[in-house]
Formats: sequence, C-alpha cells, structure tokens
Amino acid sequence: MAAADSPSAALRRRDLCSRGIRLAGKMRADVVDLLDAYVERQGLDASASVAAVEGVPLAAVERWDEQTGTQRLLENLAAYRAFRALLAQMLDEQREQLGEADAGLGRALAAVLLQVSAFAYHLEELLRLESRGIPGEEEDGPPPPPRLSIFEQKLRGLGVLRELAQWAVRSARDLRQLAKPSPATGAAPGLAESP
Amino acid sequence: GNPQNLKCVTHNLHEMICTWDFSSRGRHGQTDFCYTTNDLTPQVCFKTKERRVEIPVPESSSTVTIKSSGTAFATKEFVIHQKDISFVPVTPHILSLTPDFSTSTLNLKWSDNGSVFPYGLDAIWQIQILRKETMEEVTQVTYYSKLTHEDLILSWNWSSDMPLECTSHYVKIRCYINATQFVGPKDWSEWSPAEMIPGKDTEPGESGVFPLDTVVAVGSDVTFCCVHEEDQHITNMTYGSKPYKMIQLSSRSHAIRVLNASASDTSGTNVVCHLKNGMDGTVVFVGYAPDIPQNLSCETSNFVIIKCTWKPGRPSGLYGERKTKYSLFERMSGKNVSCEVNEMNRDRACGFPVLPDQKTYDFILGVSNPIGQAQSSLLVDITQRVHPKTPEKLTVIENNSTSIQMRWFINGSFAGIRLLCQIEVSSGHSERRLHNVSMPGGKFSTYTARVNALHPYTKYQFRVHCSAADHFWRWSDWSRVMEQTTAEAS
Repeated sequence: MAAADSPSAALRRRDLCSRGIRLAGKMRADVVDLLDAYVERQGLDASASVAAVEGVPLAAVERWDEQTGTQRLLENLAAYRAFRALLAQMLDEQREQLGEADAGLGRALAAVLLQVSAFAYHLEELLRLESRGIPGEEEDGPPPPPRLSIFEQKLRGLGVLRELAQWAVRSARDLRQLAKPSPATGAAPGLAESP
Repeated sequence: GNPQNLKCVTHNLHEMICTWDFSSRGRHGQTDFCYTTNDLTPQVCFKTKERRVEIPVPESSSTVTIKSSGTAFATKEFVIHQKDISFVPVTPHILSLTPDFSTSTLNLKWSDNGSVFPYGLDAIWQIQILRKETMEEVTQVTYYSKLTHEDLILSWNWSSDMPLECTSHYVKIRCYINATQFVGPKDWSEWSPAEMIPGKDTEPGESGVFPLDTVVAVGSDVTFCCVHEEDQHITNMTYGSKPYKMIQLSSRSHAIRVLNASASDTSGTNVVCHLKNGMDGTVVFVGYAPDIPQNLSCETSNFVIIKCTWKPGRPSGLYGERKTKYSLFERMSGKNVSCEVNEMNRDRACGFPVLPDQKTYDFILGVSNPIGQAQSSLLVDITQRVHPKTPEKLTVIENNSTSIQMRWFINGSFAGIRLLCQIEVSSGHSERRLHNVSMPGGKFSTYTARVNALHPYTKYQFRVHCSAADHFWRWSDWSRVMEQTTAEAS
C-alpha cells in the first residue's frame, strides 16, 4: 500500500491535475473545431459512421469508477502517445496530399498535435511525481500502418479526431478523480489507492 | 447412295478441305478419292474412311472422283472450279490479353499468320469487347493491317471507359483477308475463343470502389464502380454529396456514370458506396492540364544563378503529390533542373546555375501534372539579361569642398562585363541630378566613383543603382541613401 502523499507532493499533484484539466478542456475545444473543419475540407459526411481506428484505445471504459489512479494515468498516456503518432501521420499525409493548398487545416492539425504532445508530457510528469516508472515508448514507435487509400485516410482521420475529442473529456474526468482528496485523511491519496 | 454436296473451303489459299455426304444413309465403308488439277498432273488417289480430305487449291479447277465401297459401289465425279471454293481464313489466335489497371487499358496481341499468305494482302480484323457476366458487347472495332508473308505479332490497345476492376472483360477477334487474286467467295474467319480479364467482382472477398485515387481532367465522363463482398448489400452511391443512379454490372458490382466532371476541391471529390453495414469509397481529383507557361523570362543578378520567371496560366486545381511540376532543361549543356514551386503563390520562379564559359542558354521550361504537360522555350544570351543586385555599403572614402569620392559593393560576379552606374545627387534646395559612371565589372567586389561640382559645406543625399553597360536590361534597385556634407571652402 503506498504511503499517503506528503503535503507538498499532494499540492504539486493537485496543481498538475488542475493544469491538466484546463489543457484537456482547451484541447477538446480545439479538436471539435478541427473536426468541423476537417469534415468540411475533406468532403465527408459529418454523420458518417466510422469503424474503430486501429491503434487508438477507446475512450469509453467499463467500470471507470474502479480504476486506480495509476491505471488512469497509464491508459491516458498510452492513448495520447498513440494520438501523437496518428496525428503526426495525418500531418504527413496532409502535406503529401495537399501540399500548400490547405495550410489552414495543416496548422490546426499541427496545433492539436502540439497540445497532445504537451498533454502526454503532463501525464508523464504526474507519473514521475508518484515515482512511477514511465512506460518506455516502443523503440522505433508503432509499426508503420499499411498504406491506406486516400478515402481510407480521410475516414481514419475522422475516426482519430472523434476519438481524441472523447478522450479529452475522459481525461478531464480522470484528472478530477485524481485531484480529489482522500475521504479519510483529507490528504490526497497516493495514486495506487485512489479509485 | 451416291456421293453428293461436295464443298471445299480453303483457310490459306494453298490447301483446301473438301467434304461430302451421300445421297442415302447406310454404311459407306472406305472411299477411294482421286483428284487431278487442270494442269494435267497425274491423278492422285488415296483411300479414306472420312468424308473429308485436304487437297491443294487448283489454279483454276480440279476434277475429283469419289468411289465409295459400302453396301453399294457408287462413283461420282465432280469438277471444282476455284470460284466454287470458299476462302475462310484460319481463326485468329490471341497470344496475350494484358490489362493495365492503372490506366484501364487492355493490350491485345495476336499473330497475323501472314506466313501462309502471299506478300501484301490486306487483312481486316474485327475485335469485339464484351463485359459483365452476361458478356454484353461494349464495342466492336475494325483494325487494318497488311500481310508480309511473315508471321507478325500485331498489338492493339483499348481504353475502357470503366475501370477494369469493375467487372470481367472479354475480347474476341476474327479476320477477313482480301485475297484479290482468289476468285472464290471470301468470308470472315470464325471468332476466336474469348479471352477474359476477370473483374474484382469475381474474386472471393474482394471489394472496393474504383478507380482508386485517380486524377481526371475537368469535363471528363467517369465511371465509378463499387465491388462489394458476397453477403453485402449496396444501398446507394454518391459522388461528392450527390446520389447517382446505379448501373448493375454483376451481383457484386454496381457503377455510376458521372458526366462532365467539374473541378474538385483541394482534397478531391469523394465517391462513396453506402452499404447495408458500412461504406467504402475512393477519391477523384478533377483538375486541369497545365497551361503553356506565358512570358518566360530569364535573367541573372550575379552571374552565379540564372532566375527564370513565368506566368503559369490557369491553376490546375491539383495539389500535393498531384501538383504541377516544373523543370528547366538547357539544351546546349543537357543540364536539367527541377524547380521547387509553391502552388499557392502566383509568381513562379526557378533557378539555374550559370555554367562556366557559356553565355547563351537554350531553355525549355517543362510543365506537367497527371493530366497533361506543356512547355515553353527561350533562347537567351545571359550577358544581355543582367539585373544586378542592390548596391550595398555605400560609403564616402574622400570628401572635400567640391567633390566626394564614394564606394559601394555589389554582390555578384560581373568580371565578364562592364557596369553602368547612376549616382543620384540631391540636396535640400537643388534639383536632383544623375551622375553616370561606367567601369569594368568585378568579382564580388567594390566600386568607386567621384562626384564633382558640388557646393562647399552643403548636405547632399546620394544613392546608386547599376546595370550592364553594353546591353542594358534592367537597373538594380536603388541603394540605401547616404547623406554627406561637403567640406567648407578653404
């Protein structure tokens, strides 16, 4: 059982959590804007149903209440690392397909990628705070996905952005959960304990 | 029964196949067949159980005697004139039928079997293209060739108006040989067996919308098809956001026909196949072939790089990996440079290195994109196209009451030419005046000049611009203004 936080660690964690919550909120707003622009620029049907995107952990999780703090952070970190790779690939494909033609969409994509990278780093900070080992990233990153057709790229992009918007909501909830003081001691519990 | 209905057909104008039957049924056993041709060669006889023999085609006629030894002996003599012999060429043999899915073309190769025919006969080929499970005829094309008494492999391409993946395509061929010397009736050969290129709709588990990620010209008529798996059901197909009437090609393939396609957005036009559970799609990029580049002009500012500029004409509407690509080829040196061009800004420029000991350049600006290509050319003597860079570091090196010597630097290698520079002199109340000075060009060097007839203790503003002295092309931009007061009169 991990010992309860020292006051300064608890303060630091609550600060990181609240900053994380704000970052997640901003990210969600930007992703929703990007999603609208993406659907319109890619000529897609906003109501199109898209299969789950390979390599993207689903935001929806069963028994969310029962997750420990560490599980929450580790799942969040895995998700945002996956999004970072997928968004980077979307940016490459965007440049390849459109070049300079749709710089606006490219900039918006790059901005969200930056936020996702920042959020992943933020999660690593939280894990470091708990002297939790940070899972190494696969040496050379996820295996390159199969070459998709342009339409499949468009649909995958839609799926990635939709899922990222969901994750931003979940992350904010997860961080709020982490920031809650433990009912017994009033001090913020160590990650392992906090459900 | 007597032998009757003797018919002879030749497939190669040399040998003919004669067939007959008997006036009554019953067993006819072995037959003695004899023939002589009109040039009185000795009669040739042989026995056969068949009712068909292969004998030479006569120059004008042959006499044939058929004696059958069945239940009753019967002998019949026939005289066959060349005009009674039909000429039906051998059924052509397709050597290969090769699909190119990327361009939706079929390449057909066949042998013209010319070695058996005299030199120079005209041959006419009919090629039939069929499609779908029901083998509906799509087109029939006539192809002409001349026989050369050798077996030539003929090749023919057909561009389909529909991606070859959409459904199976079949090709058949037959021929007619215009043997002018042959007096008998002439007819088309039989159709060859159909060669087939299977569509994706015949391959288990295959699916997709075709053509995949293609580029077409504005105004094209394009057929898109959706091939789906056996257990899938297609509900509709849309082009952009508009549903189109579907044409069924087979149980697993439906198509739509888009006429006069208009330019697509930057990310292309989506063609979506909506299925009972899910969707599939492709993207088509509809744009323009590049215009011929207008106002191609080349100059150098430093005798290191030649900068060519041009007006691109109508935007192609294609971007990214499909965007229009530019290359500058110089014929005399054979050097080719590909140009990095930003499709979004209007002016186009490309740099080409000044080559040692070469004054004249014969440029071809090549422009191409997936829809087409164009080019412009320009022959230019680069020493007559000098547009120097802006003079820099204009400074005074000597100053007295009535004259000032100044110096400036020009970034460039002008050693091969003379420069003409104009120094503009102005001071508060007097008129601006231009002081012209010419000097030999230098290599990344400074230049000096003296301006005389100045008033003592007067503040002057100086600036300089330069050009080629011998063949004026363009002035450089003006240098920055330098302010200097002349010394007091002594």
